[in-house]
Amino acid sequence: MHDAPRHSLHRVLLIARRDYVATIRTKAFIIGLVVAPLLFGGGFLGIALMQSKPDIRERRIAIVDSTGLVAAAVIEAAQEKNAKELFEKVTHRQVRPHYVFETPPPAPDPKMQRLEFSERVRHERLYAFVEIGPGVLDGGTRTSSEAAGDKDTKRGPVSIYSNAGGFDEVSRWLSESINEGVRRVRLAQLGVDRSRLGDVLAGVAVDRFGLLSRDPKTGKIQEANKKNELAEFAVPFSLMLLLGMIVMVGSSPMLSAVTEDKANRLVEMLLGMATPLELMMGKVLGALGVSLTSSALYIVGGTLALEGMGMAGLVPFMVLPWFYIYLIAEVTFLCSLAAALGAGCSSPQEAQQLAIVLLAPVMIPYFLFTFVMQQPNGGISTALSLFPPFTPMLMLLRQAMPAGGVPAWQPWVGLVGILAFTSIMVVAASRIFRVAILAQGKAPKVADLVRWAVRG
Amino acid sequence: MDAVQISNVTKTFGAVTAVDDLSLTVPEGSVYGFIGPNGSGKTTTLRMITSIFYPDRGDVRVFGKQMLGSRSELIGYLPEERGLYRKMAVQPMLEFYGELRSGRKVTAEVKSWLQKLDLAKWASQKVQTLSKGMSQKVQFIAAVVPAPKLLILDEPFSGLDPVSADAIQAAILELRRAGVTVILSTHDMQVAENMCDYICMIFRGKKVLDGTLASIQDRYGNDTIRVAAEGGMQFLDGLPDVERVRDLGQVQELRMALGCDPQQVLRMLMARTRVISFSIMKPSLHDIFVRIAGAEAGEAQHA
Repeated sequence: MHDAPRHSLHRVLLIARRDYVATIRTKAFIIGLVVAPLLFGGGFLGIALMQSKPDIRERRIAIVDSTGLVAAAVIEAAQEKNAKELFEKVTHRQVRPHYVFETPPPAPDPKMQRLEFSERVRHERLYAFVEIGPGVLDGGTRTSSEAAGDKDTKRGPVSIYSNAGGFDEVSRWLSESINEGVRRVRLAQLGVDRSRLGDVLAGVAVDRFGLLSRDPKTGKIQEANKKNELAEFAVPFSLMLLLGMIVMVGSSPMLSAVTEDKANRLVEMLLGMATPLELMMGKVLGALGVSLTSSALYIVGGTLALEGMGMAGLVPFMVLPWFYIYLIAEVTFLCSLAAALGAGCSSPQEAQQLAIVLLAPVMIPYFLFTFVMQQPNGGISTALSLFPPFTPMLMLLRQAMPAGGVPAWQPWVGLVGILAFTSIMVVAASRIFRVAILAQGKAPKVADLVRWAVRG
Repeated sequence: MDAVQISNVTKTFGAVTAVDDLSLTVPEGSVYGFIGPNGSGKTTTLRMITSIFYPDRGDVRVFGKQMLGSRSELIGYLPEERGLYRKMAVQPMLEFYGELRSGRKVTAEVKSWLQKLDLAKWASQKVQTLSKGMSQKVQFIAAVVPAPKLLILDEPFSGLDPVSADAIQAAILELRRAGVTVILSTHDMQVAENMCDYICMIFRGKKVLDGTLASIQDRYGNDTIRVAAEGGMQFLDGLPDVERVRDLGQVQELRMALGCDPQQVLRMLMARTRVISFSIMKPSLHDIFVRIAGAEAGEAQHA
């Protein structure tokens, strides 16, 4: 009369199949397939769109030069730079604002002059004004304020005043031109021929390469590959983004689905036929199937699109098996957790309040990705990527980066960690699920959940 | 062999003891009824038999075997709270439930039961389009497909119209004739009296009655008079040695005190009004239920 393991597995698969079919037939799934990448990639698309429509209104800048020498050099450097960048090379479309300068003489009352310029900036008759202090040519120790008898030492030798907030692109651009102009004046004072200043100050192109290696079969030294910005940033980041997106799309509906089944009294009917563990695992497996389906669609679609653009070489095929291992592990543990939390809730509204718990293992790695990309093999990056809830996202990010190379042992240690963590989560979640799924009334406290997870 | 054997089972939820040292046996092939007020422990007991709940103490055996942590294809269970996948069509959903329990395809059995309960033409309709009565019949089919050896029904007639109730009652009795053991919990004493071979009353987690209807009634003796008299209730006040009068509308039920002489009651009654009928009988299950559960039973009747 007792179930054979085969019958138990059959029940798990049956529940998984029902949930899988029910999910992929819904409009929400089809729409989600399209909307999720738009939501996740929307930010980048938005930036790209905004960059294609730059603000090219004229920028009028006033330069108050205490030295009487620097302003002209700064304007010359700025105009050369502006001329180079003003138009896009291929389309000849204007992509940068045109900079116009005026050079009023320093006034006896610098504060009054600053106020006057500030008002002009506020009324948009001026974009910004620059104050160049007298010490700018001798190492920059004397500030522009000191020169004006102003004791305020907060200012450096050159000050830019503007109404711009956040990332002030104009100030950054002006700083480069001011430094260029100051360097030119200094070099001229040192006797460098003015006609050779361009050569002296010209930058050199720096090419970045990976490492050379020796072919293990032939013994030949293999040349290093030139580093590719797209492959170095876009590919690892996109892969991590895709993993996070699929994990979230696959696991987040579980919370409300379990709560709804509970609220609709389906659960007791099902528990008369399947054990809580079978029911939970069936639901987790169903969600996993949904995640694998959407990931296959995205990966195949992405590969075909890159191939169409002649960039199939960017697809990190070597990392894809890890992508799927991490996907399976993360969806399993997050869905188990969602099932346990959903079982403890008595309404979908209550469940929504717990959704943040499920988002954390995906969202926190998103916040950490720039740090990890800057120092992929640093101690903190290594530790973070070996922390099981973050392993799928961060280890994948590190593995997908073409240069640097994650030490071979780390993905395996990460894998052991995430598998152990997932197993513990599944067992704990099934215990909570069993106790909580038929409980009615007020939601259990965290202490109750912990007690159920430990004792069952 | 007994279909179910429960030995000294206790189940608590926090500070509440839902089932307290309960022992009972359900003979194979019988219809066994659980009665008791709301919250007395009936549903908890049924859930322990199906292994949805585990007892804190004691032992539950079904056909001689412990059920902890497993499910059996031999047990069909209809919970009190009905749950169906509203967006699934009737037949695929019943096939899913049947296969989930038995591990095999049950298409033929589902079709047969849909015919039997007059639901064949609804087989391809979504559950959400069914009336409440039809949904309840569908739920019943989910419990009986494929043929269980033990059928556990928690309030199977709750909310059913008389036609649907008759159809399900007939189906239960047919299953019993086929050898299926049926355990049902009910608030309807008439159902328990009419259908059950054995009746068990649970009150505050403890068993307070267990046996056949006749054996239960025998414990109380012939202490009940059912009388129909002109003027009804107004002439029944103040009769000596009558503990309680229950108005059933056209007739009234009188409970006699211990040692009361029914002839004396009849004489006094005839002196007050014209008596149309007068019968001495054993107490009804309803009356026994009320005697034990008191105010809580009243609550149950209105639940």
